[in-house]
Amino acid sequence: MWLWYDWQAAAVADDEGIIHDQAVWDGFFDQRALIERLDCIANNALTPEAKTLHERFPDAKPLIHGDGQLPDAEWPLPSHEALEAVDKAAAEMTRQGVARAAGDPDRRLEHLLRASDEMRSTYLTMEARLVEWVGLFLPEVRFGKDRTSLPKRVGESDSLEMLAKHLDVQVPDEGPSKSEWKSLREWGESTGTFKGKLDRLENAVRELTEQHLPSLSIMLGPLLAARLCVEAHGRMRLARLPAGTVQVLGAEKAFFHHLKTGADPPKHGHIFMHPWISRSPRWVRGKIARTMAAKASIAAKIDAFEGTPWTQDDVDLMDNRVEEIKAAHPKPPRRNR
Amino acid sequence: MLSWAIRLEGRALWTENADPGTATYGESLRRFGGIEFRRWDPSRSKLGAGIMRTRRDKSLLLPKEGSTVLYLGAGHGTSISHLHDHLCGEDNDLGGRIIAVDLAPRCLRDLLHLAKARPGLVPVLGDARKHSAWGVLLPRKVDWLFQDVAQSGQVEIFIDACRRFLSLDGTGLLSLKAASERWTGEGEDALFAKVQMQLSKSGFVVEECIELTGYEDNHVLFVTRRVE
Repeated sequence: MWLWYDWQAAAVADDEGIIHDQAVWDGFFDQRALIERLDCIANNALTPEAKTLHERFPDAKPLIHGDGQLPDAEWPLPSHEALEAVDKAAAEMTRQGVARAAGDPDRRLEHLLRASDEMRSTYLTMEARLVEWVGLFLPEVRFGKDRTSLPKRVGESDSLEMLAKHLDVQVPDEGPSKSEWKSLREWGESTGTFKGKLDRLENAVRELTEQHLPSLSIMLGPLLAARLCVEAHGRMRLARLPAGTVQVLGAEKAFFHHLKTGADPPKHGHIFMHPWISRSPRWVRGKIARTMAAKASIAAKIDAFEGTPWTQDDVDLMDNRVEEIKAAHPKPPRRNR
Repeated sequence: MLSWAIRLEGRALWTENADPGTATYGESLRRFGGIEFRRWDPSRSKLGAGIMRTRRDKSLLLPKEGSTVLYLGAGHGTSISHLHDHLCGEDNDLGGRIIAVDLAPRCLRDLLHLAKARPGLVPVLGDARKHSAWGVLLPRKVDWLFQDVAQSGQVEIFIDACRRFLSLDGTGLLSLKAASERWTGEGEDALFAKVQMQLSKSGFVVEECIELTGYEDNHVLFVTRRVE
């Protein structure tokens, strides 16, 4: 005996396809109820009609419409009106699904991180131009550490003379024309605002990543954690990647060059940005990268499957391990011949 | 004329616009005898490219107007809009039905807009492999199925979908992207030959193998008929 069902009907038939009993639902003008039923079927659960018939025929095997095991029979298929209703409901379900995509932190993080990358490169280009531009008119100025206040200073100065006074240098003989100075000043102003926007963007990235990837964030810092997550196309995918892949994420060019030509494989990808690697001597970087990638992979798994996030103590343990590796290899290895 | 809605003018395909006055993806609109047509750009649509390239009767690639079809890997709806012109017509006069399945919410966003103006088009957000989620939308088998999912295991997905949804003697079109399959080191031709073998073993007659090079590189469109 077989219990056939779809979203609007259920029927019981024997192996010859003779129908013994059936129940049809005609409430399909209620879209909410219809969507509930479609959800129910998507989860392989029984609809109310199927439940009723299952109680009447407990030995009938319930199967959803279209299953290959079902015999051919005159199943009570949906009417034209029912089909029109289900089409509308399917479109509505899709609309809800698309709307739900906005709640996906992976997608949000990707936009945030890419935006902050683009903002950073814009800011750096503008700042470099500003320094060169000011340097042309005020050749005496030396910008050591304190470049960050320059955009603000330029933006606040009404003329080159004023800026020279601020920066404590002599006013040169050659100066810009009025409109030229105005452009330079506005350039300085926007450089300043771009810096502010960049900071806000990065803070937003940090905030979202600390929620989305708490363990990975505390281990690698939120910005690096966000980059790994975006590069892996999402938290769940990152969690499923092997540690070796996490280690070289972001070094795809070198990695595929290695596959193609047999050159040395890359030791690290984005993970290099972490001071444990970038501040370590060259000959232990590969070893540390391998350890860190393994740990990062575990952290990503904890985050993706919502385990108890790591705390600073766990990170300190890793810090000790990194120091051990460094202590075990104090000198560069001897080259073979 | 290829069908009531599709015409071939020189080297360009045109379909009668089911949503007059609107271009879906920036294609050109033009009137023939007072009726508005949209240009079907074969380099944006693998189905369109297949129709341009086929050596057999072009209308063999098309479903019967007014029927129900299944389209896996709907994308942004470029091909689908033209398919809809042919299958449904304005306000779905012909009573056609396109179940368009795609996995990416970004694509469905465009498809939903398309579906608003084109009744008969049913956009479904779902995995082409997971039949249980959307299979109940098709009470009967379809006579025409198109698949264009650029992911590995395309052929298995196609065979599974056809077994469940394609009627006997129905036409199944598979657009195969070589780069999505595992590189075996034997070259693309070997890969396409292997797929052809696999299809014929699984109960399909491969009627034509259309190379889309020029319109869409490294793609082949398999035209198959289900025989068992």
